[in-house]
Amino acid sequence: MSDNKEKLTLAVEIGDALLRNGAEIYRVEDTILHILDAFELENFDVYVLSNGIFASANEDREDACSIIRHVPLGDVHLGKIAALNQLSREICENTCDIEEAWERLRQCNLLPSPKPWIQGIACGIGCGCFCYIFGGKFLDSVCAFILGIFLQYMRMDQIERKSSKFMTNIIGSAFLTASSLIFLNLGLPVMQDKIVIGGIVPLLPGIALTTSIRDLFNGDYLSGAIHLLDALLTAMCIAVGVGFVIITYQHIPGGVKLP
Amino acid sequence: MILQFLLAMTATASFAVLYGVPKKQFFFSSLTGALGWICYLTFFKLGVGTVFASLFATFFLTIISRFFAAIRKNPVTLYLVTGIFTLVPGAGIYYTSYYFIMNDMSRFTAKGMETFKIAGAISIGIIFGFAIPQRLFQRKK
Repeated sequence: MSDNKEKLTLAVEIGDALLRNGAEIYRVEDTILHILDAFELENFDVYVLSNGIFASANEDREDACSIIRHVPLGDVHLGKIAALNQLSREICENTCDIEEAWERLRQCNLLPSPKPWIQGIACGIGCGCFCYIFGGKFLDSVCAFILGIFLQYMRMDQIERKSSKFMTNIIGSAFLTASSLIFLNLGLPVMQDKIVIGGIVPLLPGIALTTSIRDLFNGDYLSGAIHLLDALLTAMCIAVGVGFVIITYQHIPGGVKLP
Repeated sequence: MILQFLLAMTATASFAVLYGVPKKQFFFSSLTGALGWICYLTFFKLGVGTVFASLFATFFLTIISRFFAAIRKNPVTLYLVTGIFTLVPGAGIYYTSYYFIMNDMSRFTAKGMETFKIAGAISIGIIFGFAIPQRLFQRKK
Protein backbone atom coordinates (compact mmCIF):
# COMPACT_ATOMS: atom_id res chain seq x y z
CA MET A 1 0.00 0.00 0.00
CA SER A 2 1.43 3.35 -0.95
CA ASP A 3 2.12 5.85 1.74
CA ASN A 4 -0.57 8.28 0.72
CA LYS A 5 -3.16 5.59 0.42
CA GLU A 6 -2.40 4.50 3.97
CA LYS A 7 -2.76 8.02 5.30
CA LEU A 8 -6.07 8.45 3.54
CA THR A 9 -7.27 5.10 4.83
CA LEU A 10 -6.37 6.03 8.39
CA ALA A 11 -8.19 9.34 8.16
CA VAL A 12 -11.30 7.72 6.71
CA GLU A 13 -11.19 4.91 9.27
CA ILE A 14 -11.22 7.47 12.07
CA GLY A 15 -14.09 9.29 10.39
CA ASP A 16 -15.91 5.99 9.94
CA ALA A 17 -15.56 5.19 13.65
CA LEU A 18 -16.77 8.66 14.61
CA LEU A 19 -19.78 8.48 12.33
CA ARG A 20 -20.68 4.98 13.46
CA ASN A 21 -20.82 6.08 17.08
CA GLY A 22 -23.12 8.99 16.48
CA ALA A 23 -21.00 12.08 15.81
CA GLU A 24 -22.54 14.80 13.70
CA ILE A 25 -21.54 15.19 10.02
CA TYR A 26 -19.71 18.44 10.47
CA ARG A 27 -17.38 16.94 13.08
CA VAL A 28 -16.57 13.91 10.94
CA GLU A 29 -15.82 16.01 7.86
CA ASP A 30 -13.75 18.45 9.86
CA THR A 31 -11.75 15.69 11.55
CA ILE A 32 -10.90 13.93 8.30
CA LEU A 33 -9.88 17.18 6.60
CA HIS A 34 -7.67 18.20 9.51
CA ILE A 35 -5.94 14.82 9.63
CA LEU A 36 -5.30 14.84 5.89
CA ASP A 37 -3.97 18.35 6.23
CA ALA A 38 -1.66 17.31 9.08
CA PHE A 39 -0.32 14.44 6.93
CA GLU A 40 0.46 16.98 4.21
CA LEU A 41 -1.60 15.40 1.50
CA GLU A 42 -2.64 17.63 -1.36
CA ASN A 43 -5.76 18.33 -3.27
CA PHE A 44 -7.99 16.24 -1.06
CA ASP A 45 -11.71 16.35 -0.61
CA VAL A 46 -14.21 14.61 1.62
CA TYR A 47 -17.94 14.21 1.41
CA VAL A 48 -19.73 12.69 4.39
CA LEU A 49 -23.32 11.53 4.61
CA SER A 50 -24.97 10.11 7.68
CA ASN A 51 -24.38 6.60 6.30
CA GLY A 52 -21.41 6.96 3.98
CA ILE A 53 -18.02 8.58 3.47
CA PHE A 54 -16.45 9.53 0.14
CA ALA A 55 -12.87 10.74 0.15
CA SER A 56 -10.11 11.29 -2.36
CA ALA A 57 -6.59 12.70 -2.29
CA ASN A 58 -3.82 13.74 -4.69
CA GLU A 59 -6.37 13.98 -7.45
CA ASP A 60 -4.14 15.31 -10.18
CA ARG A 61 -1.08 13.16 -9.51
CA GLU A 62 0.19 9.68 -10.33
CA ASP A 63 -0.69 8.23 -6.94
CA ALA A 64 -4.28 9.49 -6.80
CA CYS A 65 -6.39 7.49 -4.42
CA SER A 66 -9.96 7.43 -3.23
CA ILE A 67 -12.12 5.61 -0.71
CA ILE A 68 -15.83 5.00 -0.38
CA ARG A 69 -17.26 3.74 2.87
CA HIS A 70 -20.71 2.58 3.80
CA VAL A 71 -21.46 3.25 7.46
CA PRO A 72 -24.75 1.86 8.76
CA LEU A 73 -26.60 3.87 11.42
CA GLY A 74 -25.35 2.23 14.58
CA ASP A 75 -25.38 2.43 18.33
CA VAL A 76 -24.25 5.53 20.08
CA HIS A 77 -21.13 5.28 22.22
CA LEU A 78 -20.10 8.74 23.35
CA GLY A 79 -16.96 7.52 25.07
CA LYS A 80 -15.52 6.40 21.73
CA ILE A 81 -16.28 9.79 20.22
CA ALA A 82 -14.39 11.50 23.04
CA ALA A 83 -11.41 9.13 22.64
CA LEU A 84 -11.32 9.54 18.85
CA ASN A 85 -11.53 13.29 19.24
CA GLN A 86 -8.48 13.19 21.47
CA LEU A 87 -6.65 10.97 18.96
CA SER A 88 -7.34 13.25 16.02
CA ARG A 89 -6.26 16.26 18.03
CA GLU A 90 -2.92 14.57 18.72
CA ILE A 91 -2.48 13.61 15.07
CA CYS A 92 -3.07 17.21 14.07
CA GLU A 93 -0.46 18.38 16.57
CA ASN A 94 1.93 15.82 15.04
CA THR A 95 2.55 14.15 18.41
CA CYS A 96 1.41 10.77 17.11
CA ASP A 97 2.83 8.97 14.04
CA ILE A 98 0.93 6.66 11.71
CA GLU A 99 1.69 3.29 13.35
CA GLU A 100 0.82 4.63 16.76
CA ALA A 101 -2.35 6.16 15.37
CA TRP A 102 -3.47 2.81 13.93
CA GLU A 103 -2.87 1.15 17.27
CA ARG A 104 -4.76 3.89 19.14
CA LEU A 105 -7.64 3.67 16.67
CA ARG A 106 -7.86 -0.06 17.28
CA GLN A 107 -7.99 0.53 21.04
CA CYS A 108 -10.68 3.19 20.61
CA ASN A 109 -12.84 0.75 18.67
CA LEU A 110 -12.38 -1.85 21.38
CA LEU A 111 -13.60 0.45 24.17
CA PRO A 112 -16.19 -1.71 25.88
CA SER A 113 -19.82 -0.86 26.39
CA PRO A 114 -20.85 -1.14 30.04
CA LYS A 115 -21.59 -4.68 31.26
CA PRO A 116 -25.15 -5.91 30.66
CA TRP A 117 -26.22 -5.82 34.30
CA ILE A 118 -24.84 -2.30 34.72
CA GLN A 119 -26.77 -1.23 31.63
CA GLY A 120 -29.90 -2.86 32.99
CA ILE A 121 -29.67 -1.18 36.38
CA ALA A 122 -28.73 2.17 34.82
CA CYS A 123 -31.72 2.00 32.51
CA GLY A 124 -33.97 1.08 35.43
CA ILE A 125 -32.74 3.95 37.57
CA GLY A 126 -33.12 6.33 34.65
CA CYS A 127 -36.70 5.23 34.00
CA GLY A 128 -37.59 5.44 37.68
CA CYS A 129 -36.18 8.94 38.08
CA PHE A 130 -37.79 10.19 34.88
CA CYS A 131 -41.10 8.71 35.98
CA TYR A 132 -40.89 10.69 39.21
CA ILE A 133 -39.86 14.02 37.71
CA PHE A 134 -42.59 13.73 35.07
CA GLY A 135 -45.19 13.61 37.81
CA GLY A 136 -45.29 10.01 39.03
CA LYS A 137 -45.41 8.97 42.69
CA PHE A 138 -42.91 6.78 44.50
CA LEU A 139 -44.75 3.53 43.68
CA ASP A 140 -44.91 4.47 40.00
CA SER A 141 -41.17 5.03 39.99
CA VAL A 142 -40.57 1.62 41.49
CA CYS A 143 -42.69 0.04 38.74
CA ALA A 144 -40.86 2.06 36.08
CA PHE A 145 -37.55 0.96 37.61
CA ILE A 146 -38.47 -2.71 37.28
CA LEU A 147 -39.80 -2.29 33.75
CA GLY A 148 -36.73 -0.27 32.76
CA ILE A 149 -34.43 -3.15 33.69
CA PHE A 150 -36.46 -5.60 31.60
CA LEU A 151 -36.65 -3.13 28.75
CA GLN A 152 -32.88 -2.71 28.59
CA TYR A 153 -32.31 -6.48 28.59
CA MET A 154 -34.84 -6.75 25.79
CA ARG A 155 -33.07 -4.05 23.79
CA MET A 156 -29.67 -5.64 24.27
CA ASP A 157 -31.09 -8.96 23.12
CA GLN A 158 -32.60 -7.35 20.02
CA ILE A 159 -29.31 -5.62 19.21
CA GLU A 160 -27.48 -8.92 19.48
CA ARG A 161 -29.93 -10.62 17.14
CA LYS A 162 -29.69 -7.60 14.83
CA SER A 163 -33.44 -7.35 14.52
CA SER A 164 -34.98 -4.22 13.09
CA LYS A 165 -34.94 -1.08 15.21
CA PHE A 166 -38.60 -0.51 14.39
CA MET A 167 -39.61 -3.82 15.88
CA THR A 168 -37.51 -3.14 18.98
CA ASN A 169 -39.33 0.14 19.53
CA ILE A 170 -42.79 -1.24 18.85
CA ILE A 171 -42.27 -4.30 21.03
CA GLY A 172 -40.57 -2.25 23.74
CA SER A 173 -43.35 0.30 24.08
CA ALA A 174 -46.02 -2.41 23.78
CA PHE A 175 -44.30 -4.35 26.55
CA LEU A 176 -44.21 -1.26 28.79
CA THR A 177 -47.86 -0.46 28.24
CA ALA A 178 -48.96 -4.04 28.77
CA SER A 179 -46.95 -4.42 31.97
CA SER A 180 -48.22 -1.13 33.35
CA LEU A 181 -51.79 -2.30 32.68
CA ILE A 182 -51.00 -5.50 34.54
CA PHE A 183 -49.74 -3.48 37.53
CA LEU A 184 -52.95 -1.46 37.39
CA ASN A 185 -55.11 -4.55 37.33
CA LEU A 186 -53.24 -6.16 40.22
CA GLY A 187 -54.90 -3.47 42.28
CA LEU A 188 -51.83 -1.34 42.89
CA PRO A 189 -52.68 2.35 43.30
CA VAL A 190 -50.49 3.37 40.37
CA MET A 191 -50.80 6.01 37.68
CA GLN A 192 -50.48 3.84 34.62
CA ASP A 193 -49.74 6.71 32.22
CA LYS A 194 -46.83 8.01 34.31
CA ILE A 195 -45.21 4.58 34.39
CA VAL A 196 -45.31 4.36 30.62
CA ILE A 197 -44.01 7.91 30.19
CA GLY A 198 -41.08 7.19 32.47
CA GLY A 199 -40.46 3.86 30.79
CA ILE A 200 -40.39 5.02 27.18
CA VAL A 201 -37.67 7.60 27.79
CA PRO A 202 -34.85 5.21 26.74
CA LEU A 203 -36.67 4.56 23.46
CA LEU A 204 -37.14 8.24 22.63
CA PRO A 205 -35.24 9.58 19.62
CA GLY A 206 -33.44 12.29 21.59
CA ILE A 207 -30.08 11.66 19.96
CA ALA A 208 -31.46 11.40 16.43
CA LEU A 209 -33.40 14.65 16.92
CA THR A 210 -30.38 16.53 18.28
CA THR A 211 -28.02 15.26 15.59
CA SER A 212 -30.49 16.01 12.82
CA ILE A 213 -30.99 19.58 13.97
CA ARG A 214 -27.28 20.16 14.22
CA ASP A 215 -26.71 18.67 10.76
CA LEU A 216 -29.44 20.84 9.27
CA PHE A 217 -28.01 23.88 10.99
CA ASN A 218 -24.57 23.18 9.54
CA GLY A 219 -26.06 22.96 6.06
CA ASP A 220 -25.90 19.16 5.69
CA TYR A 221 -29.52 18.95 4.62
CA LEU A 222 -29.45 15.39 3.34
CA SER A 223 -27.92 13.91 6.48
CA GLY A 224 -30.15 16.07 8.65
CA ALA A 225 -33.19 14.82 6.78
CA ILE A 226 -32.08 11.19 7.23
CA HIS A 227 -31.76 11.63 10.98
CA LEU A 228 -34.99 13.60 11.21
CA LEU A 229 -36.82 10.81 9.41
CA ASP A 230 -35.22 8.37 11.82
CA ALA A 231 -36.49 10.42 14.78
CA LEU A 232 -40.02 10.72 13.39
CA LEU A 233 -40.27 7.02 12.58
CA THR A 234 -39.04 6.09 16.06
CA ALA A 235 -41.68 8.32 17.63
CA MET A 236 -44.32 6.75 15.41
CA CYS A 237 -43.19 3.24 16.35
CA ILE A 238 -43.55 4.11 20.04
CA ALA A 239 -47.04 5.44 19.39
CA VAL A 240 -47.97 2.28 17.47
CA GLY A 241 -46.74 0.04 20.30
CA VAL A 242 -48.68 1.97 22.94
CA GLY A 243 -51.79 2.24 20.80
CA PHE A 244 -51.88 -1.42 19.85
CA VAL A 245 -51.86 -2.58 23.45
CA ILE A 246 -54.51 -0.08 24.57
CA ILE A 247 -56.86 -1.08 21.72
CA THR A 248 -56.45 -4.74 22.63
CA TYR A 249 -57.01 -3.95 26.30
CA GLN A 250 -60.27 -2.18 25.57
CA HIS A 251 -61.63 -5.30 23.92
CA ILE A 252 -60.84 -7.51 26.89
CA PRO A 253 -63.86 -7.71 29.19
CA GLY A 254 -63.33 -6.84 32.86
CA GLY A 255 -60.28 -5.04 34.13
CA VAL A 256 -59.88 -1.51 35.45
CA LYS A 257 -61.37 1.21 33.23
CA LEU A 258 -58.92 3.66 31.76
CA PRO A 259 -59.68 7.36 32.23
CA MET B 1 -37.07 21.66 43.68
CA ILE B 2 -33.88 20.20 45.19
CA LEU B 3 -35.38 16.72 44.92
CA GLN B 4 -36.25 17.38 41.28
CA PHE B 5 -32.71 18.56 40.67
CA LEU B 6 -31.16 15.48 42.24
CA LEU B 7 -33.51 13.11 40.45
CA ALA B 8 -32.92 14.77 37.08
CA MET B 9 -29.21 14.47 37.75
CA THR B 10 -29.45 10.77 38.60
CA ALA B 11 -31.63 10.12 35.57
CA THR B 12 -29.23 11.87 33.23
CA ALA B 13 -26.27 10.13 34.85
CA SER B 14 -27.79 6.71 34.28
CA PHE B 15 -28.38 7.55 30.62
CA ALA B 16 -24.80 8.73 30.43
CA VAL B 17 -23.82 5.21 31.57
CA LEU B 18 -25.97 3.68 28.83
CA TYR B 19 -24.34 5.77 26.14
CA GLY B 20 -20.81 5.05 27.35
CA VAL B 21 -19.82 8.53 28.47
CA PRO B 22 -16.30 8.40 29.97
CA LYS B 23 -16.28 8.28 33.76
CA LYS B 24 -14.54 11.63 34.14
CA GLN B 25 -17.40 13.38 32.35
CA PHE B 26 -20.31 11.80 34.26
CA PHE B 27 -20.63 14.66 36.67
CA PHE B 28 -20.72 17.32 33.96
CA SER B 29 -23.12 15.38 31.75
CA SER B 30 -25.57 14.88 34.57
CA LEU B 31 -25.20 18.45 35.76
CA THR B 32 -26.14 19.62 32.26
CA GLY B 33 -29.29 17.52 32.25
CA ALA B 34 -30.30 18.63 35.74
CA LEU B 35 -29.74 22.32 35.02
CA GLY B 36 -31.76 22.00 31.81
CA TRP B 37 -34.65 20.40 33.67
CA ILE B 38 -34.59 23.01 36.46
CA CYS B 39 -34.58 25.74 33.84
CA TYR B 40 -37.63 24.12 32.22
CA LEU B 41 -39.45 23.88 35.55
CA THR B 42 -38.66 27.48 36.48
CA PHE B 43 -39.97 28.85 33.20
CA PHE B 44 -42.96 26.52 33.36
CA LYS B 45 -43.87 27.82 36.81
CA LEU B 46 -43.59 31.37 35.56
CA GLY B 47 -46.49 30.45 33.31
CA VAL B 48 -44.93 30.72 29.85
CA GLY B 49 -46.33 27.34 28.77
CA THR B 50 -44.62 24.09 27.82
CA VAL B 51 -43.48 25.22 24.38
CA PHE B 52 -41.65 28.35 25.48
CA ALA B 53 -40.30 26.62 28.58
CA SER B 54 -38.81 23.94 26.29
CA LEU B 55 -37.38 26.62 24.02
CA PHE B 56 -35.63 28.49 26.83
CA ALA B 57 -34.50 25.30 28.56
CA THR B 58 -32.95 23.89 25.37
CA PHE B 59 -31.25 27.17 24.64
CA PHE B 60 -29.83 27.23 28.15
CA LEU B 61 -28.87 23.54 27.93
CA THR B 62 -27.00 24.07 24.66
CA ILE B 63 -25.04 26.98 26.10
CA ILE B 64 -24.07 24.98 29.19
CA SER B 65 -23.02 22.03 27.03
CA ARG B 66 -20.86 24.24 24.88
CA PHE B 67 -19.36 25.85 27.96
CA PHE B 68 -18.50 22.46 29.49
CA ALA B 69 -17.19 21.25 26.14
CA ALA B 70 -14.85 24.23 26.01
CA ILE B 71 -13.50 23.90 29.54
CA ARG B 72 -13.31 20.08 29.48
CA LYS B 73 -12.00 19.92 25.88
CA ASN B 74 -14.48 17.31 24.71
CA PRO B 75 -17.09 17.20 21.95
CA VAL B 76 -20.31 19.07 22.75
CA THR B 77 -22.29 15.93 21.89
CA LEU B 78 -21.22 14.30 25.16
CA TYR B 79 -23.12 16.79 27.27
CA LEU B 80 -25.89 17.86 24.94
CA VAL B 81 -27.19 14.43 23.95
CA THR B 82 -27.52 13.10 27.48
CA GLY B 83 -28.97 16.34 28.79
CA ILE B 84 -31.64 16.65 26.12
CA PHE B 85 -33.46 13.52 27.28
CA THR B 86 -35.18 15.44 30.07
CA LEU B 87 -36.78 17.73 27.49
CA VAL B 88 -37.78 15.39 24.64
CA PRO B 89 -41.61 15.21 24.66
CA GLY B 90 -42.11 11.54 25.57
CA ALA B 91 -45.29 12.34 27.46
CA GLY B 92 -46.56 14.16 24.39
CA ILE B 93 -46.03 11.12 22.17
CA TYR B 94 -47.78 8.89 24.70
CA TYR B 95 -50.83 11.10 25.23
CA THR B 96 -51.16 11.82 21.51
CA SER B 97 -51.38 8.16 20.63
CA TYR B 98 -53.57 7.48 23.67
CA TYR B 99 -56.20 10.09 22.76
CA PHE B 100 -56.05 8.94 19.15
CA ILE B 101 -56.91 5.41 20.21
CA MET B 102 -59.58 6.66 22.62
CA ASN B 103 -61.18 8.58 19.74
CA ASP B 104 -60.90 11.81 21.70
CA MET B 105 -60.24 13.91 18.62
CA SER B 106 -60.16 17.36 20.22
CA ARG B 107 -57.64 16.36 22.86
CA PHE B 108 -55.70 14.33 20.26
CA THR B 109 -55.30 17.39 18.03
CA ALA B 110 -54.35 19.61 20.96
CA LYS B 111 -51.72 17.17 22.28
CA GLY B 112 -50.39 16.36 18.84
CA MET B 113 -49.91 20.03 18.00
CA GLU B 114 -48.30 20.63 21.36
CA THR B 115 -45.86 17.78 20.85
CA PHE B 116 -44.89 19.08 17.42
CA LYS B 117 -44.47 22.57 18.81
CA ILE B 118 -42.23 21.28 21.60
CA ALA B 119 -40.09 19.40 19.09
CA GLY B 120 -39.87 22.59 17.04
CA ALA B 121 -39.03 24.62 20.13
CA ILE B 122 -36.22 22.21 20.98
CA SER B 123 -34.84 22.60 17.46
CA ILE B 124 -34.94 26.37 17.64
CA GLY B 125 -33.38 26.31 21.10
CA ILE B 126 -30.46 24.21 19.86
CA ILE B 127 -30.04 26.36 16.74
CA PHE B 128 -29.94 29.59 18.75
CA GLY B 129 -27.57 27.98 21.22
CA PHE B 130 -25.15 27.12 18.43
CA ALA B 131 -25.51 30.50 16.78
CA ILE B 132 -23.48 32.10 19.54
CA PRO B 133 -19.90 32.53 18.27
CA GLN B 134 -17.39 29.95 19.46
CA ARG B 135 -14.83 32.50 20.63
CA LEU B 136 -17.11 33.61 23.48
CA PHE B 137 -16.71 30.15 24.97
CA GLN B 138 -13.00 29.84 24.43
CA ARG B 139 -12.20 32.99 26.36
CA LYS B 140 -13.66 31.48 29.51
CA LYS B 141 -10.94 28.82 29.76
